[in-house]
Amino acid sequence: MFKNLKVSFFLAWKSITRGNKGTLILTVMIMSLIFVNLIFLPSIISGIGESINQLSIDYLCANLIIEPKEDNFYINNVDSIQKKLNRLDGVVGTSSRYVTGATFTHKSKFVSGAIYSVNPTDEIVVTKFHTKLIDGEYLSKADTDEIIMGVELTGEEGVVGEQADLGGVTVGDKIEVTFSNGVIREYRLKGIYKTGPMGTDKFAFITKKEMESVLGLDNQASEILVKISQRGDEEEFRKKFMEIGISEDIKTWEDRMAGVVESMLSSFNLINLISAIISLVMAVVVMFIVIYINIVHKRKQIGILKAIGINQRAIIHSYVIQALVYCFSGIIVGSFLLLFLTSYMTANPLEFPMGAVTPLIESQLVIQSIISLIIVSLIAGFIPSWKTAREDILKAIWG
Amino acid sequence: MENGERGYTEGNLGLKMIQVQNLKRIYVMGKVEVHALKGVSFDIEKGEYVAIMGPSGSGKSTLLHQLGLLDIPTSGEIMIDGVDVLSLSDHEKTIYRLTRLGYVFQEYAILGELTALENVYLPLLMMGKRRKEYINTSIGILETVGLGHRLHHLQHELSGGEQQRVAIARALVNEPKILFADEPCANLDSDSSKQILELFRKLNNELGQTIVMVTHEDWHKEYADRTIWLKDGLIEK
Ligand SMILES: Nc1ncnc2c1ncn2[C@@H]1O[C@H](COP(=O)(O)OP(=O)(O)O)[C@@H](O)[C@H]1O
Ligand SMILES: [Mg+2]
Repeated sequence: MFKNLKVSFFLAWKSITRGNKGTLILTVMIMSLIFVNLIFLPSIISGIGESINQLSIDYLCANLIIEPKEDNFYINNVDSIQKKLNRLDGVVGTSSRYVTGATFTHKSKFVSGAIYSVNPTDEIVVTKFHTKLIDGEYLSKADTDEIIMGVELTGEEGVVGEQADLGGVTVGDKIEVTFSNGVIREYRLKGIYKTGPMGTDKFAFITKKEMESVLGLDNQASEILVKISQRGDEEEFRKKFMEIGISEDIKTWEDRMAGVVESMLSSFNLINLISAIISLVMAVVVMFIVIYINIVHKRKQIGILKAIGINQRAIIHSYVIQALVYCFSGIIVGSFLLLFLTSYMTANPLEFPMGAVTPLIESQLVIQSIISLIIVSLIAGFIPSWKTAREDILKAIWG
Repeated sequence: MENGERGYTEGNLGLKMIQVQNLKRIYVMGKVEVHALKGVSFDIEKGEYVAIMGPSGSGKSTLLHQLGLLDIPTSGEIMIDGVDVLSLSDHEKTIYRLTRLGYVFQEYAILGELTALENVYLPLLMMGKRRKEYINTSIGILETVGLGHRLHHLQHELSGGEQQRVAIARALVNEPKILFADEPCANLDSDSSKQILELFRKLNNELGQTIVMVTHEDWHKEYADRTIWLKDGLIEK
C-alpha cells in the first residue's frame, strides 16, 4: 500500500512538473474560476441578506424586542423594566415606543398609517433613524407639536400617480393627524428621513410625551427595543431577561424577522442553486476532459507501466493525485481571486435599494465548495484512469 | 528463494528455465480467426541465450508476449522456473513481471516524463527498495549499458540507441530470471545494434543471464547460443 502510494506520488509529481505547462496553468485557472463562481454569487446574495438583517436591527426591531403578553395591549411599568434592562452588562440601550394607527392629512391629501412615539434620547442609542434625515432635524425630548416622517409618507414633489403619500410635503408644513382614538392634532413637519426598503419609511414619529398626552396613558409602551453590544448574543440575553423577571413576550430580531429575508431572497436562492450546479457540472466536465486527454495521450505509457509490473492501482492513484493537485491549486488561486474581489468590493460596494452591499463569504459555503470540488476531482481523476488502466497491456501499448 | 540464483555457471545448464507445451494463440477478430501460434513446444535452459527467428508474421512477437505474461494464450502450458505462470492471477502476474522478468520492446518503450535514471529505478521503487539502494543499483546498471553519462537526460534528449539501452537497463534492474527482447535492434543502425548484441552477449557470459531475443536479422543469431525458427505459428527447426 505504502509502496504503491510512493510510486503514485512519484509518477504524479513527474507528470505535473514535466508535463505541459500550458495545460497545467489552464486547468488550474479553470478550476480557480469554478471555485470563485461557486462562492462569489452566493456571497453577494448573503451580503444582501446581511444588509437586510442589519436594516432590521437598525430600523425595525433592534437586537431584541419586548412586546405585551397575549391579550394585553400595552406593557406596564415600562420605566422600571427599562431600568432593569439598562443595568445589565452588554445592554447598550432600550427604547420604549407607543404605536397606534393614524390618518395624516395635508391640504386635500390624506394617508392612513402607523405613528410611533419615542423618547429621542433613548431612541438614538437603539435605532439609526436620526442618522438618515434627508431634510430638517430629529425630534427633541420636549417637542410636543412636531413630527418627523419617512420619505414614503411625505411623498416627493412632482411625482404623479397613485402613491399613498402626502404628495410632497416639506419641512415646515403643517400636518393634521387623526389618532385612532379620535383625537385630532396638528403638527409641524420637523424632519424627513429615508432608511431603505424595510417599510420603515412609511412611519411617522412624535415624542413619547406628546403621545401619552394624546392617548391618556403613562408609563406604558407598545414595545421596547433593546440594543446589545454584541450581535449574536441575542438568545443568551433573552434568557437573561426572563431570569430577571421580564414576563412580557421577548423576541430576538431573528424570531421577529423569521422567514422575511428567506422569502425576500427565495428567487435569488434558486438562481444561486442553479449557478452552483452549473459550476459543479462544469468542474466535472473540465476535469474529465483534462484528465481524459492526458490519459489518451498516455495510453502507451500506462501500457508500459503495466508491462514492467507497476501495480494498476498505483497507476490509477497517480492520476487521482494529479486531479487533486489541480483541484487544490485551483482552490488556492481561486481563494486569492476571491480575496482580491471581496476587498475590491468592500472598498467599492454595490449599490442596492437596501444600501451598500459587500459580499459576505460564509465559511460553511467555502467548506461545502471545497468538498464538492474535491469529490468532483476524485471522480474525474478516477474514472478515465481506471478505464484505461484496466485495458489490455498490448492494446494500450500498440493502440 | 533468491538463494542459488547468483552464479549462473556452466553447471546450471541442463536445468529448465522455460518449458512450453503445445502453446496456441488464436486471435478472434469478428468472424475471422488468426492462428498466430498453432501449438509450439520447446524448452529453454537456465543461462541460455536463445534467438527466435522467422519471417514477419510468423508469430515471434506473439510467442514472446505469452512468455512475458503480457498476453493470455488460447491453450497450452508455460512453466517458468518451475512456476505454472498461466495459473497466476492478474495481480500475481504483475508482481511476477515486476520481480522476475525483464522485457524490452521493439520500440523504445521508455517513459517520456522520466529521466534515464528514473526510468530505470521505477521498478525498484515499486518493489519498495530504499532510496540509496535503488539509486545506486540503477546507476550501476546504466553504467553497464554505457549510459553513465546520460543519467539525467529525458527521452527526447537521448538517441534511439540510448533509449533502447535505457529500456534494457530498466529490464535488467530487478535481476530478472529471464530477459525478453523483441527485436531490440529493429530501429537502430548497425553500430548501435552491435553494441546491444554485444551487451547481451556479455550479460550472458558474465552473469549467466538467460536471454530470449526475437530478431529477423540473420547476422544477429551469431551472438546467440541457439536459434528457434518459427514459421506460420509453428517451430520449423
Ligand atoms: N492483436 C492481434 N490481433 C489480431 N491478429 C494479430 C494480433 N497480433 C498479431 N496478430 C497476427 O498474428 C500473426 C503473428 O503476428 P506476430 O506475432 O506479430 O508476428 P511477428 O512478430 O513474427 O512478425 C500475424 O498474422 C499478425 O497479423
Ligand atoms: Mg514482431
